[in-house]
Amino acid sequence: MTGQADGDGVSRRDLLGRTAVAAAGAASATVVPGAALAAGRPAAGAAAAAGAAGSEATIEVAMTVNRRPERIRVDPRVTLLDALRDRLALTGTKKGCDQGQCGACTVHVDGERVLSCLTLVGTVQHRSVTTVEGLADGDTLHPVQQAFVDCDGLQCGFCTPGQVMSAVALLREGHTRSDGEIREYMSGNLCRCGAYNNIVQAIRSVRPGPRSR
Amino acid sequence: MADSPLGRPVNRVDGRRKVTGTAAYAADQHPDRMVHGHLLVSDVGHGTIRSMDTAAARSAPGVLAVFTPFEPLALAAGAGQNWVPLQDTLVRYHGQVIGIVVADTFEQARDAAALVRTDYDETPPAASFAAGIPTATVPTGGWEPPVVDILADGVTSIDEALAASPVVVSGNYSQPSKHHNAMEPHATVADWRDGGLVVHGGTQAPAGHARSIAAALRLDPAQVRVLSPYVGGGFGNKATTWADAVVTAAAARAVGRPVKTVLTRPQTFTVTGHRSAVAQAIALGADHDGTLIALKHDAWSSLSGSGSVFESAPGTTSRMLYRTANLHVGQKVVTLDVPPSTFMRAPGEESGSFALECAMDELATALRMDPVALRLKNYATVLPGRNVPWSSKHLDECYRVGASRFGWARRRATPSAVAEGDWWVGMGMATAVYPANRFPTSVRVRLLADGTAAVSTASADLGTGMWTVLAQLGADRLGIAMDRVRPELGDSALPANFGAFGSASTAGVAPALRDAAAAAVRSLTEIAVSDERSVLHGADPAGVEYRAGALHAGGRSVTFGALLTATGHPAVEATASGGPGGPPAEYAFHSFGAHFCEVRVNRWTAELRLSRITTVVDAGTIVNPKTARNQIEGGMLFGVGQALFEGAQVEPNGRIANANLADYLIPVNADVPPMDVHFLDHPDTVFNPAGVRGVGEIGTVGVAAAIANAVFNATGRRVRDLPITVEKLL
Ligand code: FES
Ligand code: FES
Repeated sequence: MTGQADGDGVSRRDLLGRTAVAAAGAASATVVPGAALAAGRPAAGAAAAAGAAGSEATIEVAMTVNRRPERIRVDPRVTLLDALRDRLALTGTKKGCDQGQCGACTVHVDGERVLSCLTLVGTVQHRSVTTVEGLADGDTLHPVQQAFVDCDGLQCGFCTPGQVMSAVALLREGHTRSDGEIREYMSGNLCRCGAYNNIVQAIRSVRPGPRSR
Repeated sequence: MADSPLGRPVNRVDGRRKVTGTAAYAADQHPDRMVHGHLLVSDVGHGTIRSMDTAAARSAPGVLAVFTPFEPLALAAGAGQNWVPLQDTLVRYHGQVIGIVVADTFEQARDAAALVRTDYDETPPAASFAAGIPTATVPTGGWEPPVVDILADGVTSIDEALAASPVVVSGNYSQPSKHHNAMEPHATVADWRDGGLVVHGGTQAPAGHARSIAAALRLDPAQVRVLSPYVGGGFGNKATTWADAVVTAAAARAVGRPVKTVLTRPQTFTVTGHRSAVAQAIALGADHDGTLIALKHDAWSSLSGSGSVFESAPGTTSRMLYRTANLHVGQKVVTLDVPPSTFMRAPGEESGSFALECAMDELATALRMDPVALRLKNYATVLPGRNVPWSSKHLDECYRVGASRFGWARRRATPSAVAEGDWWVGMGMATAVYPANRFPTSVRVRLLADGTAAVSTASADLGTGMWTVLAQLGADRLGIAMDRVRPELGDSALPANFGAFGSASTAGVAPALRDAAAAAVRSLTEIAVSDERSVLHGADPAGVEYRAGALHAGGRSVTFGALLTATGHPAVEATASGGPGGPPAEYAFHSFGAHFCEVRVNRWTAELRLSRITTVVDAGTIVNPKTARNQIEGGMLFGVGQALFEGAQVEPNGRIANANLADYLIPVNADVPPMDVHFLDHPDTVFNPAGVRGVGEIGTVGVAAAIANAVFNATGRRVRDLPITVEKLL
């Protein structure tokens, strides 16, 4: 696919912009239209408005991140993952695949676990996002975080933010009744280092009810 | 005195940073004015690039530059392959780096890269491993001799010895090429400052990475500093420098801004290395009592035309594992137009042990002998052909302890003899072996006036636990609490270290650290007796004893912090180095282990589940049983992947059809059975005074064979082609 105009005069870029606008519009975003979309190049003003994001169109997204209100203006192509990492300097959330296949990017949106790499940031307008940086209470780790440390539920640590966020959600979802259930509901979070047994042990140690399997 | 943390299951010192998201990996760096790179890779399997139309990409918003073979970056050799990126129009394999787009944002760089149109003159690649086997060649430059024949007096060939054996089993084994798939994709942030280059890059070898980048950019090695405090997994694939790092560094120089390039998951399959595909033929000849008469093991491994590493399967396993009157190991390579082949966890042992340990199971079946008894019958006490003993070998104890922990006595020799409901239950076992390596390593120990100490070496912690091991070893040698020891690693500017591979790090660090600590204490003593402000001034140095963080003499004592403070020294430090351990002429050096596993196979659907694994490991002194167990389990997971899931699907045009984490399967949490890992903990003080070997790779070796043997025991099916997928059991 190229950036040239197709037969109907709609460029991919234009379409992408409109799609994102539509998506963001549904979430009542503020859209800054690019003045020169049809030409395939931004007008000087639009480029300036885009700033570092630098596309033809930008959207403004207001959301709460780790209990703090945030308002960012970004390229509509930006995922929640890249918004967190590149725009809000919250690099705890990891990109392992950018394709929804590994779980490293797991965060909570309104308390539910989502893959932030598959979530355009425009879709979290006015919603509440929690990342691994938002779990601890000052110096006191969240019980799940502490359990991961104590049970050595990690090695390289790259999958860990996603594992921890999934584990916290899992406890809330109530899917911790047996080791088998924990394993099943944690299977969207890959760990190539293979800390799986320790991860299960960590979750088991903080779940309500029996500590053994 | 602080109790030594050595040998205790202490928590990882970097654990808190990793569970809070504050551990900053390479891709988490964002220097001022940084821009983003996105690699262009070839989408044909072989040929030459006729043209690249970059006009649309160049005029796309935010794009700063596009570099291609037609508008190249200045690069020399040094990036881990035998060609230099962007210096010619040759396409050597599908997915080869052919350019980079640099733009203000990640989205702009990625989308502009999609606008580049490349035209090729295609030629068919040699991408089929199977098709290349008939023309395989004997490799040069491997780290094991490719062919070894050790024959009894009067025997002229291994085939003659096999023909004379009363019982013979033979089989052909195969497995596809495999990809490391560390969860952290390779990332580089290249930042030129003050005439030098700072590279943030997840690497197993910060100093080696810096040297390779310096060579590729024609810089003095002192001008390049690599920072790699956290590495999101490596498994051998971050031991060498790939094209992405040098292209990114050169692009940063060209655009005058820091550049970050992170490989996409599919790019990691082709820009970086993988494990060879391996085919093996093995034949065992034995007497009726199980005594081995002949062992013949040949292997064919794929080798990339771009890279030099291949699986050395028989040379790392059959070469030394059993006592046999006649031995032949042979290795050939099939050179292919595929991405670079490289080290992957237990390179050689992983595949070699699959063939050898399955063949031993087949022999046990043929002899109606217990598989453990067969192994003990042919237990090697000296290295075949060299007749030297091992520095420390307790493999027999691994078998016995493992069999008892696992309940091996309950195994029924006849396949399909045990069922629970709709599931056949089978048991299998296999041996693990991995060399004890030790590479040149320097460690600095620094005692500070505030009573703390720093322990430093240019190693890396890929999840291996080296941060913690350094702190433990430092606390042990200095007799102070672990929280007073600050480990330092992941920086090429620290004292020299080969890097974290070959399961060699702890064995390299521990003895050097001992010597450095002793030397630092000698300097401390020197200050204590010679400085007038010291309470030990004038004491005989020979009578000064260091214990628990303090010097003691004649009833007086002073902590090192107090002494340094009183005498106005901010710190005292010493660096010590060590090389390969133990006398190689007198001993062989290996770690050993035994796996026992139970599988369940559904009699209707052939669904295969691992139900439990017991592994006993003989790897010398264990510094931290908590992190070491995790390492062993992780290693075993690579064996589980090998047995059940993993393999690249290479199309005839050289494209890897499953270059992503949904189609290239790796074990997930639900695939993992409970693992009972037990360490024997016998110090190997011949190998080094600390008695440690390594635990990074041995866990992988033999797991696939143990599983395949258990599958045979469950079903009567001998699967010799990995992975063992459902259709092979139906
Ligand atoms: S980065 Fe989102 S699932 Fe892998
Ligand atoms: S800890 Fe390394 S991938 Fe999970």
